[in-house]
Amino acid sequence: MTKRIRHNGGLTQSRIYLGKFLRMFVFQNDWKVLPLGALIAALVTFVVGTNIFKTQEGTQMGVFALVCVSIWNGFFNSIQSVCREREIIKREHRSGLQMGAYIFAQMIYQLLLCVAQTAITLAVCSVAGVTIPAEGVVTSWGMLDTGITIFLITYTADMMALMVSSIVRNTTTAMTAMPFLLIFQLIFSGSFFHLSGFADKVKYLTISYWGMNSLCSIGRYNEQPMVALWNMLVKFENIDIEGYTPLKDLLVEMEKNGYRDDFLLWAGQQNGIPEYAAEAGNVIFNWIMLAALLIVFVIVSVVALEFIDRDKR
Amino acid sequence: MAVFQTYLSSQLRSIFLWALFSIGLWKLSEKLNWKHRWMAWVPGLRYMALGNSLDMAREGIVCGVVEILIDIFYLVTSNYTIQNENLSVALDLAVLILIVMLYVYRIRFFIRLIRVFGLKTRWILLWLIAEWIPVLILGFGKQYQPKDLPIQEEWVAGTSPAEIAGAEGVHSLTASETGLSVDLYERTAKDFLKKRYLLKDISLDIPNGSLVMLLGGSGSGKTTLVNAIIGYEKAKARMTLNGADIYRDYKRMKYRIGFVPQKNLIRGNDTVIRTVDDAALLRLPRGTKIRARRNRVHEVLDLLGLSAGAEGLVTKKSGGQLRRISIAMELVSDPELFVLDEPDSGLDGVIAREIFTKLREIADEGKIVIVITHTPDRVIDLFDKVIVLARDSGRVGRLAFYGSPQEAREFFGKDSMEGIVMSVNRKEEGGDGLADHFIASYAALAASEGGVTA
Repeated sequence: MTKRIRHNGGLTQSRIYLGKFLRMFVFQNDWKVLPLGALIAALVTFVVGTNIFKTQEGTQMGVFALVCVSIWNGFFNSIQSVCREREIIKREHRSGLQMGAYIFAQMIYQLLLCVAQTAITLAVCSVAGVTIPAEGVVTSWGMLDTGITIFLITYTADMMALMVSSIVRNTTTAMTAMPFLLIFQLIFSGSFFHLSGFADKVKYLTISYWGMNSLCSIGRYNEQPMVALWNMLVKFENIDIEGYTPLKDLLVEMEKNGYRDDFLLWAGQQNGIPEYAAEAGNVIFNWIMLAALLIVFVIVSVVALEFIDRDKR
Repeated sequence: MAVFQTYLSSQLRSIFLWALFSIGLWKLSEKLNWKHRWMAWVPGLRYMALGNSLDMAREGIVCGVVEILIDIFYLVTSNYTIQNENLSVALDLAVLILIVMLYVYRIRFFIRLIRVFGLKTRWILLWLIAEWIPVLILGFGKQYQPKDLPIQEEWVAGTSPAEIAGAEGVHSLTASETGLSVDLYERTAKDFLKKRYLLKDISLDIPNGSLVMLLGGSGSGKTTLVNAIIGYEKAKARMTLNGADIYRDYKRMKYRIGFVPQKNLIRGNDTVIRTVDDAALLRLPRGTKIRARRNRVHEVLDLLGLSAGAEGLVTKKSGGQLRRISIAMELVSDPELFVLDEPDSGLDGVIAREIFTKLREIADEGKIVIVITHTPDRVIDLFDKVIVLARDSGRVGRLAFYGSPQEAREFFGKDSMEGIVMSVNRKEEGGDGLADHFIASYAALAASEGGVTA
């Protein structure tokens, strides 16, 4: 009986491809995503960074911007990474490449990229004067909680783009799909657009929704003052009722007696959102949901690539 | 009453426009040589027929199906009210997409039609205003005649192989224990529910140490045959390599076969040596010692003249070097069967000759090397055998010859390999159109020489 010859399995193949990707990071200018990510983070924090984690409005807007930056970074990392070398993968699949091993190598490589981008984003935020919560919700260090969330958002978006890149057959289609996916994430984040009915269910499939929830929880959104109501009252303070301006009198009285801050905090509590509760269980649940989406994207990527031999010549 | 009148007038208008378009298309179908001219009157089918006559069969089917779907939607919505609001919106969206799709395909058809009639592109404007106008003009205008009517073959190609006497008798009874044994009954593909024959009745034995040229015109099935031989696209066939069944044990056998595709499918931003080394890691058996692997990599790089710039990036290499890197990636695993799809594509004569000389050396090591090339005569002296594939009158790829280059010249009565290819090419392609004759002659010759069953 002849001895059956075995070839290198998935783990060795993943190691081969990881090495390839790391070399290409240097030679193929993939490193450019890092300074580009820093530039985008700087631009966003410059515009919306001052009030983040200070007031509810500032937090919501700033967190939304941070989520967008993270999703953008993740998308850009991998949207072309598979489809640009689809024919090469097809050739290598003929020679014994396992798609699971290839995607696993991509996952490790993209993970390193995403960790680096998270560090850069946090560094840029710190330099730009964004006050990251000192105290964490899950861990005792707020920076770590925030970092884990930004990393998970970036990495999940990265895997989503990897999935798209594995499904489509060329870079043009991938780049056409990307803005659509991004808009989908923004609209269905559940933050700025009122969602109802079926649309309200769709938000559970978005990275932005779970990312927003997690970051707002870590930023203790529900415990922050709400300024929008006060500003609104100020706008209407000159309303005249039979020669009196009761609203103005009330606001002046509140400011004179130092009740303004109490009022803002009270308004914030009334405006609390259950999904943003600053509880460890809530944040961990959001992380788990992001991880679950990530796993789904990875599985779809592998399955899609398994059909690569069906590509027409 | 007013509502009914509006409905009636809109229906009458639709019928009138349909009639105008259909009359024009019915007349046009005569000029386009439609087999079934009544199709001009049937929504959906008319686009299928139009597509077929313009050598756009696939587009014709898509367009026809889309038109039918839209008609069904209108029929349903004009008689029933969809209660579910979400479903209604989704259907509206779907129909909108279908309508856009239909118009894009129609424009494609009309552009092709304009080209066929040798008209100026501005005719498309007329089409955009009302498509029945140009159809009527082209249909009834005697001065408008098709100048460049495509050959209507796509729709029927491969659906009915030509009846060639003796062709089915070429199959071997037993597979050879050494070398490559090919015994292919048929290779078919499903295309829009139609069974198409791509290859039929090909049987040959190639001894080890042979350098074999695979010849044939465009569409004769060269790449299909190669893919069938190496087991990548399986056919109804038996393929054995040194006694081992390629199909039955494909997972193991694929490591004993090297296939170099036509394009240089290599990552540009990696070094040559790492590219070949990674290929070795992927293809060599588990447990191969690092030293043995590295020695093999260097051996292959030396053989193919790539050692000098091995530390350089792939992207910096010339066309000839890229081809050799692509060959090295497969050769590094020391395959018994080595198949190359146009390794000389895009290369000048000197570089191409250099590559084929290397392939000769590889064959001399006892391997079987099969090469597809479109410029055979400059290197034919290096080859041991020639396989000639030809498309029969039913557009199915078949074996027209297998033997030495000298035997091929005598069999076809030509003094060059290009001449041989021209003799089996169709007349429309500038060839002699003798494919059926040579397929039958070779089948008779193979049967008379024995080793094959009649």
